[in-house]
Amino acid sequence: MKRSGEAKPVNVAVLMSLTGLAIALAMPALIGSNQHTMLLAITVLIYAALATAWNIIGGMAGQLDFAAGAYLGLGAFTAGTLLIRWNITPWLGMILGGLVAGGFAVLIGYPLFLFRVREVWYSIASVALVEVLRAAFLLWDEVGGPLERYLPFYSESLYQSFYTMRFRSYVPLYYITLAILVAALLANQRIGNSRLGYYLLALGQNEDAAEVLGVDARSCKLKALAAYAFLSGAVGVIYASLYGFISPAFFSMNLSTEVAILGIVGGMGITYGPLVAAVIMVSGREFLRANLSTQMETLYLVVYSLALILVVLFRPEGIATVFRDAYARVTSRFAGDQDVA
Amino acid sequence: MTLFMQSLLNGVLMGFVYALIALGLSIVFGVMNLSNFAHGEFVMLAMYSTFWVSVLGGVDAVATAVITFPLLFLFGALTYYVVLDRTLQGPFVTRLAVTVGLMTLFRAVAQLLWTPQARALPYSVIQGNLDIGGGLVIIQSRLISAAISMVAIFGVYLFLEKTWPGRAMRAASDDVEAASLMGVNYRRVYALAFGLGSAVTAIAGALLMTFQQVSPIVGLRFGLVSWAVMCLAGLGSIPSLLISGVLVGVTESVAMAFWDPKARSIVVYTIFILVLALKPRGLFGKK
Amino acid sequence: MSPKPIFQTFDLTKRFGNLAAVNNASLEIYEGEIVGLIGPNGAGKTTFFNTVTGLYRHDSGRVVFKGADISSLYPHEICKLGACRTFQVVKSFAKMTVEEAVRVGAYNRHGEKDVMAKVDEVIAFLDLEDIRKQKCAELGLAPLKRVELARAMATEPTLLLLDEAGAGLNPRETVELMAMLRRLNEEKDITLCVVEHVMQMVMGLCERIIVMDYGEIIAEGSPEEISQNEKVIEAYLGRRAAR
Repeated sequence: MKRSGEAKPVNVAVLMSLTGLAIALAMPALIGSNQHTMLLAITVLIYAALATAWNIIGGMAGQLDFAAGAYLGLGAFTAGTLLIRWNITPWLGMILGGLVAGGFAVLIGYPLFLFRVREVWYSIASVALVEVLRAAFLLWDEVGGPLERYLPFYSESLYQSFYTMRFRSYVPLYYITLAILVAALLANQRIGNSRLGYYLLALGQNEDAAEVLGVDARSCKLKALAAYAFLSGAVGVIYASLYGFISPAFFSMNLSTEVAILGIVGGMGITYGPLVAAVIMVSGREFLRANLSTQMETLYLVVYSLALILVVLFRPEGIATVFRDAYARVTSRFAGDQDVA
Repeated sequence: MTLFMQSLLNGVLMGFVYALIALGLSIVFGVMNLSNFAHGEFVMLAMYSTFWVSVLGGVDAVATAVITFPLLFLFGALTYYVVLDRTLQGPFVTRLAVTVGLMTLFRAVAQLLWTPQARALPYSVIQGNLDIGGGLVIIQSRLISAAISMVAIFGVYLFLEKTWPGRAMRAASDDVEAASLMGVNYRRVYALAFGLGSAVTAIAGALLMTFQQVSPIVGLRFGLVSWAVMCLAGLGSIPSLLISGVLVGVTESVAMAFWDPKARSIVVYTIFILVLALKPRGLFGKK
Repeated sequence: MSPKPIFQTFDLTKRFGNLAAVNNASLEIYEGEIVGLIGPNGAGKTTFFNTVTGLYRHDSGRVVFKGADISSLYPHEICKLGACRTFQVVKSFAKMTVEEAVRVGAYNRHGEKDVMAKVDEVIAFLDLEDIRKQKCAELGLAPLKRVELARAMATEPTLLLLDEAGAGLNPRETVELMAMLRRLNEEKDITLCVVEHVMQMVMGLCERIIVMDYGEIIAEGSPEEISQNEKVIEAYLGRRAAR
């Protein structure tokens, strides 16, 4: 019967999401004993979260942003400084770090999203932003400076561990990062199905037409930017907790470019796209890093950039669409059988 | 005071080289409406080319331009045909993303081939110091670099104004459809433009190697500087490019002298962001 | 009962360099009417539209809509006030479906709760039910124009400015479009200002016609008056671009 055939695709998508979530939740049980693999898993989650957040400004709002490192760093420094100086828990620091990053993003973005300023200037400005912040924090001795500032060491007390978010095991951080990733995915979904999402989509298709239909381009882009920056700032806190210190090196051009590449390669605007790309490419990168000499490890960048160029040239919708098309073929075959029966 | 004058002087001279680099970028931007994120990496590759030609061929840095200019021109045209050509019909984001890919690729390959270690040329025929009194010193190589940059910029200007390919490029930048209707093969014009934009970096690269070092990561700095210069200049004229180059060079130089060498990027890029925010058409831009 | 003007321009001027594409243009659009804006190619009609809807910045003069000065407003603000426009070359949301495109317009006055109801209403009114799930990129010209109309209609405008909505349509499609526009005007109380070259549409649809040439308003009146106006005839003939 046709009705059950139509209902099926939606349910399958939800089913797959829940399965994925279940696997992710069970991961530590499977690999928790191997520190190295746990670290890899957290790294994948971090990049997946960053890239998924990036999707809001890159995929939905259509602005190629290269400032992920800026917001990550701002989040890390906010929470890190609060913890080191005034012993304020990173749980609060995450929210504050996200707000600082988001606020800063809106401040910088406001003059850049003027009426009819070409998009490329935003991209360039975002690159500049990372550099400026890096240099600024290098010179700002009270908070930054060239040396790493170490977070409190692990504590035996369980309460202390949770309070400072410094754990002996990787497992708790894994779950926290997973939570942020899920938040980013949900944010994508919520925004995508809302007025903001439709407005952003329209802006990306044809800005003039969107404007005359009542879409306030600047306001929409700023909202997308704020959401992305907030989430990235929150991830920054995890990043700091993982490394155990905060450093101006966090304002990294390499990281920012990688996040953008993951977002583009995965599929701009597709909720799961960046996640797929992150799983594949970050695992690959870590594999190369672990097995090649320091000199050759730059090979991963070669692979990344080639992947970007090839995807953009030959499959600009992203590699997630490869899975999506295969999945559609499978489900349509399913529905077809149902109809016959 | 002397420090100020000295840094001012250095900045002005550097500014001319910056203007030359930015010229390459603005040619591509103006003719093809392409934002080449990899432009800084072309400068880096030009510098490496100069280094290797000089070291392996025993040629003086400045003279290497004779070889590297056509080399980079061909490389640019090749890059256009292989990678960029097919993106031009697509959305803007695609074109941008490809150049980002190229930027990362060039940087990574450079690091693989030549290691992160900085390289410098031992000496050049144009080296030396000039004492111009008042405690001020001009490094000769910087002075000659500035002069040659000006000559090169003027040369490009003449090319664009007087020669047929140059005028074809200007026509394409104004209206591609009209130009192609008049028999101009726009793809060849684009390849020419991209080749020229890259070849210009060969000159700049050769000059830079007489007083700077090269490493795989210098591309970022030169790329951002050329964007800053282009933003300040607006899509206007070549004189505005020169003035903007000098402004950027001076600002950078003074900031480094009076604040901190690491402050170079902060001041320049903050100005850049401010200009974008307040005068997005640039200081001299039209329309 | 004299008709109220809901839209007025006073000495509106827009220059590009030294050329005044719109030159001291003063006109009025009355509530509820269908008024045509015609003129030879290059007369400045599209520039006029772009300027009054906020896409271009005007150089001097004023634009007043429903009593409020909208001269310096952005396009989205003007849309919020109730004036919407379509484009000469259709600016479609290629990768979106018809339904999604209309939804963008519908969000102008509706929130998440009732936006789909509005979308359904517009799709039904403009007979787009069959193609509602199709991507705009796949549509032919006539349905695409209807979608553009639907998008605009979904914003619930009081005034709709149509830039060459009839261009490229065959006679049957033109008649259908005219009927649809008449329905919009009568059933939905939308005032229409129609820039057109297709004389069939202009004469058959418009109660009043304003003529532009070289950026200026040169004549105004009923279709009969205009067709006999010397200045108008001269403007068209003198241009040699008669079609």
